[in-house]
Amino acid sequence: MSIQYEDPTLAGSYDVVGSFPKSFGYGAEEQDLEENCSTSADKPRILLMGLRRSGKSSIQKVVFHKMSPNETLFLESTNKIYKDDISSSSFVNFQIWDFPGQVDFLDPTFDSEMIFKGTGALIFVIDAQDDYVEALERLHLTVSRAYKVNPDINFEVFIHKVDGLSDDHKIETQRDIHQRTNDELADANLEKLHLSLYLTSIYDHSIFEAFSKVVQKLLPQLPTLENLLNIFISHSGIEKAFLFDVVSKIYIATDSSPVDMQSYELCCDMIDVVIDVSCIYGLMQDGSGCAYDKESSAIIRLNNSTVLYLKEVTKFLALVCILREESFERKGLIEYNFHCFRKAIHEVFEVGNLPQGARSSSNNLTGLKYAGAHNGSAV
Amino acid sequence: MEKMSRVTTALGSSAISGRTMFCHLDAPANAISVCRDASQVVVAGRNIFKIYALEEDQFVEKLNLRVGRKPSLNFSCADVMWHQMEENLLATAATNGAVVTWNLGKPSRNKQDQLFTEHKRTVNKVCFHPTEVYMLLSGSQDGFMKCFDLRKKESVSTFSGQSESVRDVQFSMKDYFTFAASFENGNVQLWDIRRPDRYERMFTAHTGPVFCCDWHPDDRGWLATGGRDKMVKVWDMTTNRAKEIFCVQTIASVARVKWRPEKKFHLATCSMMVDHNIYVWDVRRPFIPFATFEEHKDVTTGIVWRHQHDPHFLLSGSKDSTLYQHMFKDATRPVDKANPEGLCFGLFGDLAFAAKESLISSDSNRKPYPGGDRRYPIFFFKKPDQTEQFAHVSSALSVFETDLDSNCMDWFVKTAQLYLLCGKPFAELCDHNAKVARELKRPQVSTTWTMLRIMFSDPANLTPGPNHPLSKLGTLPLMNSFNMKEMNSGMGAESRLERSKGESRQDNSHLEPGNSLISNNNEDNEETEGSDGQAEYMFGDAELDDDDLYSMEHDNQTEEQEYTLPQEAFQLRHEIMDNPSAPEHLQQDKADSPHVSGNEAEVTCLTPIESFSLISISQPLFTPQLPASFFCPIVREMLSYYAEKGDVQMAVSVLIVLGERIRKEIDDLTQEHWYTSYIDLLQRFELWNVSNEVIKLSTCSAITCLNQTSTTLHINCSNCKRPMSNRGWICDRCHQCASVCAVCHHVVKGLFVWCQGCNHGGHLEHIRNWLKSSAHCPAGCGHLCEYT
Repeated sequence: MSIQYEDPTLAGSYDVVGSFPKSFGYGAEEQDLEENCSTSADKPRILLMGLRRSGKSSIQKVVFHKMSPNETLFLESTNKIYKDDISSSSFVNFQIWDFPGQVDFLDPTFDSEMIFKGTGALIFVIDAQDDYVEALERLHLTVSRAYKVNPDINFEVFIHKVDGLSDDHKIETQRDIHQRTNDELADANLEKLHLSLYLTSIYDHSIFEAFSKVVQKLLPQLPTLENLLNIFISHSGIEKAFLFDVVSKIYIATDSSPVDMQSYELCCDMIDVVIDVSCIYGLMQDGSGCAYDKESSAIIRLNNSTVLYLKEVTKFLALVCILREESFERKGLIEYNFHCFRKAIHEVFEVGNLPQGARSSSNNLTGLKYAGAHNGSAV
Repeated sequence: MEKMSRVTTALGSSAISGRTMFCHLDAPANAISVCRDASQVVVAGRNIFKIYALEEDQFVEKLNLRVGRKPSLNFSCADVMWHQMEENLLATAATNGAVVTWNLGKPSRNKQDQLFTEHKRTVNKVCFHPTEVYMLLSGSQDGFMKCFDLRKKESVSTFSGQSESVRDVQFSMKDYFTFAASFENGNVQLWDIRRPDRYERMFTAHTGPVFCCDWHPDDRGWLATGGRDKMVKVWDMTTNRAKEIFCVQTIASVARVKWRPEKKFHLATCSMMVDHNIYVWDVRRPFIPFATFEEHKDVTTGIVWRHQHDPHFLLSGSKDSTLYQHMFKDATRPVDKANPEGLCFGLFGDLAFAAKESLISSDSNRKPYPGGDRRYPIFFFKKPDQTEQFAHVSSALSVFETDLDSNCMDWFVKTAQLYLLCGKPFAELCDHNAKVARELKRPQVSTTWTMLRIMFSDPANLTPGPNHPLSKLGTLPLMNSFNMKEMNSGMGAESRLERSKGESRQDNSHLEPGNSLISNNNEDNEETEGSDGQAEYMFGDAELDDDDLYSMEHDNQTEEQEYTLPQEAFQLRHEIMDNPSAPEHLQQDKADSPHVSGNEAEVTCLTPIESFSLISISQPLFTPQLPASFFCPIVREMLSYYAEKGDVQMAVSVLIVLGERIRKEIDDLTQEHWYTSYIDLLQRFELWNVSNEVIKLSTCSAITCLNQTSTTLHINCSNCKRPMSNRGWICDRCHQCASVCAVCHHVVKGLFVWCQGCNHGGHLEHIRNWLKSSAHCPAGCGHLCEYT
């Protein structure tokens, strides 16, 4: 395995080893791109809820703060609502609200209006290793209440800590929870309310995949991104491409071929490697500089004639591709196509900032900018 | 029904023939589909969309549907389907979300018929209704399924699965209105085409995405699904709740599954990653594929049976840009290569062994489990297939039980507890351990200890106890040990098949005659001791003290009253004090058999001693000095033998007892390995004390430091309660002496006793004296100290 790593001059700061910097210290000319998207008040929120000790804070720490799963054992239980605004470091332009397990909804001080309005997704975490009857009651209560306030919320249920269960047990648990919740919702005349179930664990990448799906549902640009990726990979001879949010290692889009866990894990690991190497060798003498910027790119050749290819797309996004060595011979073509792809992505997000009317008309244009003839003659 | 009959006649008239063949495509294929009469196949991929005619021995390209100068994204196909009723009708699913139909009957070059761009994201699957000409169903990444009437410009109905991306949609073969859809979150839904608002039924089929599903062509209730969890499951949908009836575990995530025509239990699968082969499974035998096609060099993306009533032709397209026709008769049969023998241990040491029936019956030595005549052996017969020559497999399963005693490790625990490893003279330790071993009915070990004593005791001290009985009937105990050895090695080689109850008894029966012989010998000897010169000679050592005698007595199991007899013999022995021992003899022996294993070597070294004792009077053979190091190679081999046999206890015990005598002979790594294994075993049996003793006695530096690394002593100052630095007895912080005796005001360096009430205390002796005179605390705190 060889790593080619290009690192530019850097400006910024990096202090905590093993966790990601809050800000990347990007060049000033890019600042406008994401900064003016929205003010924090109307950012969609992701709420993390669930009974106490079900693993909410662990999820948040592992996914967004790069905490190692084993360290979460020492997390104190949360006792107040913990708002985490990760938009400054992550593409995911959301706030994660970590609710303490013992929030009492009947408490008049609990402002459900305020909480659920403007919430994009409500993630309810159920501890699968525990008896979940109580959790289901709580889920029903939470969900029906939130639905009354804001019917547009995506309700996501994480059946968490499944690392301790056997495969059969997992599926049985999922089936059981699905059955019970739907029966209850039907009884309460809330058939319209739809719950998505995910089996998750912080000890593998299932939590990242589940979070990816939650985030993807909240992205209006997803179909466009997916199409762009489809076009990009079919014109460049790439097997699989992910558009990653670098901080959280959530993939906000991928091409339409099925996601294979191993490939995803490989790509996650690659991001880790790149950021770590960059932290060690890419920073200035005085520790200033940042680990990820415009020039970041990396190529890792695996011994099974596969190449991993990482390129910076925007301040927070990276494209990670898996391709065969033969295809990588046409590196120029790939670079060119990537250039088009990157431009298109930028346009997509600029469109996102335009008023609603302009959006749909310009969305479709982006896909057609490829000159990438597959046979390589274009280069 | 009328259509169906036409199909079969079509098959009859143009009887399909062909061979295994392939052709190169220009680009990787994503999906393939055949037309109804099995004469043409369409291949679709991101950069390819072509129709090939299937001829006798080759593929012939008939038509390229990707026409036009500027390739549109609508050509980038994720899936393709050829209508099974209408020969000219094709549908493709595009990665940009378009559903396109093609009419081959069009006169123009561009055959594109209709274009539906209703899906926002990639369409993963299109499916024509099996009997309805104009009905097309699509399933997309955006989570919707749409039903199109090809006579209209837009979809007729939209089905929202509400559970992520749709990976596959399939019309039921038998139920006109029903279709199944599989989803990325592991669900499978059943829909009625007339009712778009809500699914009829939903169940979770897999953990992770379900990539494919296929209805059984004949059995209306059966649905096969395959997913990322590497499983193919067959569901019975006729019952109220979908019931899993078969489950096949594959080695990679399942991309496609197709029932084999005319074979009720067969289905073909291909995988999405890693594995390039196509497997045909018999779902009743889920552990080994029925047949395998191994032609592709990259992931197989599309499989289809060439004709819906012909099970012999399979077509497949792959990412390696090839299109194959596989003949079923050319498939590899993994069953043929499979090893039909299986062996498995049960939780309690039971052993199940399955082997080809012929193998078992031919070997008359192997007696199957005696009680199992009714139940065992069980014969598995695979019913001979009419059309296929499936390997006829019948196997017999034998189950062997071990009785619990033979398997229990009591002997290990007892031995560990009773063995003496230090603290006594060497010979005594050996004798003690030999006795322990014998009492635990381990004569071989016992003999080994005795041998060791003989070999390494001071040569002048060489009064081998066992020779005493050996003088007359010496060969018998030897026989005994030989038998033991044979049996042990035999057990290893024959994979302990016959470790039935009989074995331990066999053990005993071997043992008991030996023991009784020994004791008989003893009695004989004791009786004749006074007069028998040979026997007297055996005790040719005046320096034997009482201890030695004592141990000898243990060894020979004589009663204490007869103890005096040997002492008489001692005096006699003085006269023949400087009898030579028999090293030359031994050396010859050794030279004769240089390759003997440790155990045999020991035994052979006995022989000369014995022989000398028989002829001793006339021809003394011993030289006075017998170098102990001479035996080292033998002992080393013996130790390795024990360690390899699994009795690391013996190896370590001998190592410790022999100490310096043998240590240099064995390399440190081996020693360390033995030590750690033994310590590990001891700790598993919770024999902490023994384990600690072993650690303490070991001479390996890596082992002795174990105690130091795992033990931490935290010393806190008794005054200020803070941790003491390790310098001296004065606490850095409060500058006072820690643990001062309340009576003499000196630092206590040995045993410190204190009252838990007031924390004052001091030298045990001082406090004890103090308490004789006063019940109050010597420190003057006024506490009424209580010591228990």
